[in-house]
Order: sequence, then structure tokens, then C-alpha cells
Amino acid sequence: MRIPDAFQWIKTSVLAGRSRNFLTMLGFAVGVSAVTLLAAMGESIKQFVLNEFTQFGSHIVAVSPGTDQTMGVGSILRTNRGISLDDAVSLQNLPDIEGVVPVVAGTAQVRHAGLTRATDVMGVGEAALEAWQLEVSQGRFLPADDILHSRAYAVLGSKLHRALYGETPALGSFVHIAGSRFLVVGVLSPKGQFLGMDLDEMAYIPAARAMSMFNRESLMEVDVMYRPGVTSQAVAARIRAHLIHRHGDEDFTIVTQDQMLETLDSILDVVRLAGIAIGAISLLVGSVGIYSILTITLAQRRSEVGLLRALGMKRNALVTLFLGEAVFLAILGGALGLFVVLLVQTLIWVVMPALPYLFTVTSAATGLIVSILVGLVAGGYPAFKAASLPPVTALRAE
Amino acid sequence: MKTTDLLSFNLQLFGRHRWRTSVLIFCISLGVLSVVLLVSLGESARRYVEQEFSMLGSNLLIVLPGKKQTSGGSVPFYGTTTRDLTLADAAYIESLPGVKRVAPIIAGTAQVSFMNRSRDVMVIGSTNDFILARNMEVASGTGLPEDAAKIHRQVAILGASLAGELFAHQQPLGQMVSLDGYRFRVAGVLQDQGESLGLDLGNMLIIPVKAGEAVFNTQALFRLLIDLNDMADEQQTIDAIYALVKERHQGEEDITIITQQSVMSAFNNIMYTLTAVVGLLAAISLLVAGILIMNLSLVSVQQRRQEIGLLKAIGANRKLIVWLFVAESLMLVTAASLIGLAVAQSLVFLLAKQFPAYPIAAPLWAHSAALVVAILTALIFSFLPARQAASVSPVEVLRG
Repeated sequence: MRIPDAFQWIKTSVLAGRSRNFLTMLGFAVGVSAVTLLAAMGESIKQFVLNEFTQFGSHIVAVSPGTDQTMGVGSILRTNRGISLDDAVSLQNLPDIEGVVPVVAGTAQVRHAGLTRATDVMGVGEAALEAWQLEVSQGRFLPADDILHSRAYAVLGSKLHRALYGETPALGSFVHIAGSRFLVVGVLSPKGQFLGMDLDEMAYIPAARAMSMFNRESLMEVDVMYRPGVTSQAVAARIRAHLIHRHGDEDFTIVTQDQMLETLDSILDVVRLAGIAIGAISLLVGSVGIYSILTITLAQRRSEVGLLRALGMKRNALVTLFLGEAVFLAILGGALGLFVVLLVQTLIWVVMPALPYLFTVTSAATGLIVSILVGLVAGGYPAFKAASLPPVTALRAE
Repeated sequence: MKTTDLLSFNLQLFGRHRWRTSVLIFCISLGVLSVVLLVSLGESARRYVEQEFSMLGSNLLIVLPGKKQTSGGSVPFYGTTTRDLTLADAAYIESLPGVKRVAPIIAGTAQVSFMNRSRDVMVIGSTNDFILARNMEVASGTGLPEDAAKIHRQVAILGASLAGELFAHQQPLGQMVSLDGYRFRVAGVLQDQGESLGLDLGNMLIIPVKAGEAVFNTQALFRLLIDLNDMADEQQTIDAIYALVKERHQGEEDITIITQQSVMSAFNNIMYTLTAVVGLLAAISLLVAGILIMNLSLVSVQQRRQEIGLLKAIGANRKLIVWLFVAESLMLVTAASLIGLAVAQSLVFLLAKQFPAYPIAAPLWAHSAALVVAILTALIFSFLPARQAASVSPVEVLRG
């Protein structure tokens, strides 16, 4: 049988059972679109979260006090063996270190010209600008003062700036934070939210000032920015050795960005796989649909099979034909499913353009490959069974 | 046609088309199973957290030092402020009407050691009210001294696993442990209660709040847990606390009060939405199964044209034929759903048996929702084939 003839034959037989084949395809299409949509959604969520966590720059190692990290709040609990500003200063001199950001956070009232706003105040250092990938829209960030003796300068988040100043210029004026006067040297560009905290509502001041403002003796965290090209493990090991030397004991925890991303990655992979598994249930039902319809169809076409065999067609050729029909159905179904995904994608684009893509080349390719595989598996057994009937029995079936 | 006749008619049909019947039953029960199972898992997770929360008592207020006026309503969870919330504030709050108990908390981490063994643990400086508010029980020894908020006594209550690790087979009661260099006498050991709300209760140490002030060299409280009287008006009491603190803090309202119920309901909303979404996604498989029902019914109508023609010739009307086919799907789907529900129920039961610590159970509404969706699917998707069957012309088919 020539290939064009085979296609002709498949086309005829698919068209012969039009409504039945259409429904089979429809069921399968729903399954395929469920799997691809859920897989793509899982992937988008993963990308979104990973982007959230890498927006603060990727060459960072975080050092926080305490070894007991239950609840993840170890850094905000009281401790007698914390990380001091001196520790932060000493880390600056290690090789391959480009910057050190001491971090103290708390809430305080920020006041200017009769307007007050109670908000988050971050005690940081000059290096935060680069380490956290902040962007200055007016003026500049905190100057590179000595970490221990820094001037009373403040940088405002964009929303805080608008709340206190409106349209009037802020640079060079003073704000009162918890009663102390700070000179506003800069305003940041909008950055958005992170883990429910609005970064644009914050005021940034030098860490030493924040420590005395909040009456704390130790830092909540120290973010160390290292030179690209050095591995995070090497930096972490160096910091660990250095701090153990200073503290006499490992009473701190070092988290590298790689470790954090790895943990996140594995959690998000579970979410993604769960999505795929839920979609796969639909796909399984759709595949069973293809299988059962093919079995019924082939049972009804026994006499045709017998005739073809009696005319001298090889069994293998027959199996190939029926398999071809199954794969054809599956591919059409899969394509229909991908079309549905594409429609959903367009809809999402119109309504919420900010969301990441659901329809990607990978998802489309995966959908089609899965379709072909399902067609082969679901069509295989019925095709084999039909083709292995002895021609005489098959012909008698009428 | 009598109902019993209808039933036996369709049962015969299932017997004849055993293979087709089992395919449909497999698909539908799989769909029902996945809906019920996924909804049950979501619901169990919600119940687990709810149970954890309810251990805190329903009239609980949590006071956090600090206030944010920012949009989005996030709480100042750092608890770091410019004006500390102190034990004196707590004492004034306790005298407000409607307030039953106030548990001040100073939280920190420290190294506790006995002989040559030491551990880094979480240290809670508080009063007996904390133990009551968290529904913890002292397994041996006593609780904290009654004057924990007034007098600095160096006694400690150990979590169960911490006591086990430090003392192994020795009796911990009355022994002296060292906490960041301060010597504390072990006055009690907590009951082993495992984790609660992410807090490892077994691995912590509770000391009088006054001693906590000394150990961590601070007056700043980390949190304040307030138990209200059953009769108290919650909102009124909250307003009174805000007013009191404002007065004591030179006119600045620098605390945030969250109620246990608001936390709970926010969490419940999230979980219900999540469960519903997962359940709906699983229900897509029922839609696919519905399409399969329609397809197979169409095939079956085609195969049974003669039979239908005969039925019509001997006096069956359109309505009866439609009903015959719809009833066939309904019977099939009901049976399949019941199988799916039974499997789901037994899986849930097995899971519950495997993990007795978690309240795993299939909620009744999941069962009924899955059943209703499956039956609706059967009705919708078998109607078209049934209509087609009903319009078979008896003369034409019988002549053939």
C-alpha cells in the first residue's frame, strides 16, 4: 500500500464515523488541554516565585543569628549571641566580598510637616542599593559612610514619599523618624511587594541609627554580596570560618541563595507535579475513551478486515493502518486541546496581561508528543487484535 | 413500563455489554474518586490548622508591638519598635474589664546546657497564663511561680524532647541547667505535644518573664496573648486596649491587635478557595467521562436500532425510549459513583489510620458534590443520544 493511499484510507474511515470520532477527539482534547494548562500554570507559578526571590540580586549570602531556625523567625528573636555591627564591619575585609548589608528592621512613625505615617523602617547600609537591586528615582542612596558611625540620612520608598510629600520636593528636607531628625537624600523607584511587605512604604536609614532607635544590640541579618565568579559555597565557608573565629562557636546560620532556591525549587516542583497529576486523570479518561471507541469500531469492521486480509494484505500493514487511524485521532484531539489552551491564553492576555505565558513551545510540544503516545498505546491492542483474526472468521462475522 | 422492569431491562443490557459497562464504570469512578480524594485532602489540611488554632481558645487576642498604616494590612511581625511594650503595660491591660488573662512573652534563643551537653533552643519568658493560653500541660513538677511577672526567679520548665536530650535517663526535676551562663533550676517538664502552629513545643524552655528580661537584657515584650472573658464584647475590649496603650505611650498608638478569629477566617477563606479549585480541576475528568458516555451511547443507539424499532412498534412512545436510555446512563453513573465514593472513603480511611495525628476525613459535602456532578453529567450527556434513539422510525428499521 502506498503512503498516499494509506492516508486516503484513514481519512475515509475517520470521516465515516464522523460524530463518534469527533466526540472521541473532543474528550481527548479536554484531557490534553487540562494537562498542558496545569503544567504551564505550575511552571508559571514557579517562575514567578523564583523571580520574586531573585529580584534582590543573586550574589548574596545571608547570615542570621541563632542556629535554631524554627518558624523561620530566628532573626527577630532576642539573643545574647547575636551578630554585631562589628561583625558586619569585619566581614567587609574578607577577600571576594564586594559589600556587606547589616539589616535591622522595625516599625516607627515617620513625620514630615505635620503628616505622619507609621511604617517599616529598615536599618541598612550603602551596599543595599546594589545587593538588593534597588533603584533610585531622585537623589541618591545612603552614602558609603563608616558602618559604625553613619550620618542621619534617610531614603524614602516611593509610596512613603508620596504620602508625606505629595508633589513638593523631598530632597534636602528633614523627616522625623521616631522623633530623630533625618536628612532625606533620596527617593526610590517603585519595587512592589515581597512576601506581603510593601517595599515602597519603607524608609531606609543607616543600620547603626536604627539599632539605637530600636534599642537593639545585634543585627537581624547580614547580607553579604560577593564577587561574581566565586562559588557561594566558598564564600559561605569563608564567612563561617571567620565568624567562628570571632564568636568562638557556630551560633549563626548561613543561607546561600543557591540553597534557598533549591529548597524553593523542590517545593514548587511538587506543586507542579501535583497539577500535572490532576490533569493526567482527565487525560487518562480521554485515553480510555479513544481505546474503547477504537475497540468498538474495529469490532464493527471485522468483515472489512477479513476482506482486506483475504485480498492479500499483510498483517503488519493492517496493524499500521489501524494504528495510523488511532494516532491521527489522537493528534487531532491533541491539536484541538492545544487550540483551547491558546484561546485561554488569548483571553488571559486581554484580561490580565501581566500574567506569564501558559502556552509555550514546550507545552505545545509536550501536548502533541503525549497525544501521539496515547494514540499508539490506546490504538495498539485493538489494532493488533483486529488484524490477527483469521480472514475466514472475520469474513463470516457478517 | 414498571420501574422494576426498567431496572431488569437495563441490567440485562449491562450484562450483555460487560466490556463497555466496565470501561464507563472505570472512568466515572476514577473521576468521582479523584474529586472526593482531592477535596478531602484540602479539607483535612484546613481542619488540621483549624484544630491547631482552636487549641488557643476562641477568645484570644494577640498584641504585637508596632503599627503600620500602610496599605495591604500587613502586620508588624518583627515586633521591633521605638517604644517598647512592657510588663507595666501588660499589668494595666490585665486590669481592664473583659480581660481574663494576659500572657506577656519575651522570646529569644539561647544555649541551655547541663553537664557537658548543650542545645540551642527557643526560650520563652512568660507566666503560667502562657501555658494555659496555649493549652499546654506540665507532665511532671510544677508550673512557673505565680509571681513570674514580678520577681526574677531562675526556674525553668523544659520541653519534653529537650528534657530527654539533656538528661537522658536522669531525673531532670531539681537539677540546675545553665542558660547563657545563668543558672536555672528545672521546676517542670512539659507534656510531649509535638509541633503546634510551626512552634516546636518539645524543644523549648519556659522561664519567668522577669527572668527573661534579665537573660536577654530587654524590657521589650515580643507579644502579648490576651484571653477575654466569655461575656466580654471583643471590639469594645480591643478599643479599650488601644486607648489604654495610647495613653501610656504619650499619645502614640503603637501596637497592633489581631484576633484569633480574623486570622482563622482569613486562613479558612484561602483554604476553601484552594480546595474548590483543586476539586474543580479534578472534575474536568468527569467532563471527559461525560463525553465518553455520550459517545458510547451514540454507538449503542446505532447498534440497537432494530430493538428500538421493535419497542416502538409494540407501543413504546418517544418519552419511554428517551427515559430508557437516560435511565441506563443514570444507573451506570450511580453505580460507578458509589464505587468511586467507596474507594475514596476507604483510601481516606487508610490514610487516617496511617497518620492518626492528622484529622483526615472526607467531608460529606465532597461526597454529595461529586455525586451530583456525576449524575448531572450523565443526564446532560445521555440526553442527546436518547433523543436520537427516540426518533428512530420503526417502519424503516424493521423493514431492513
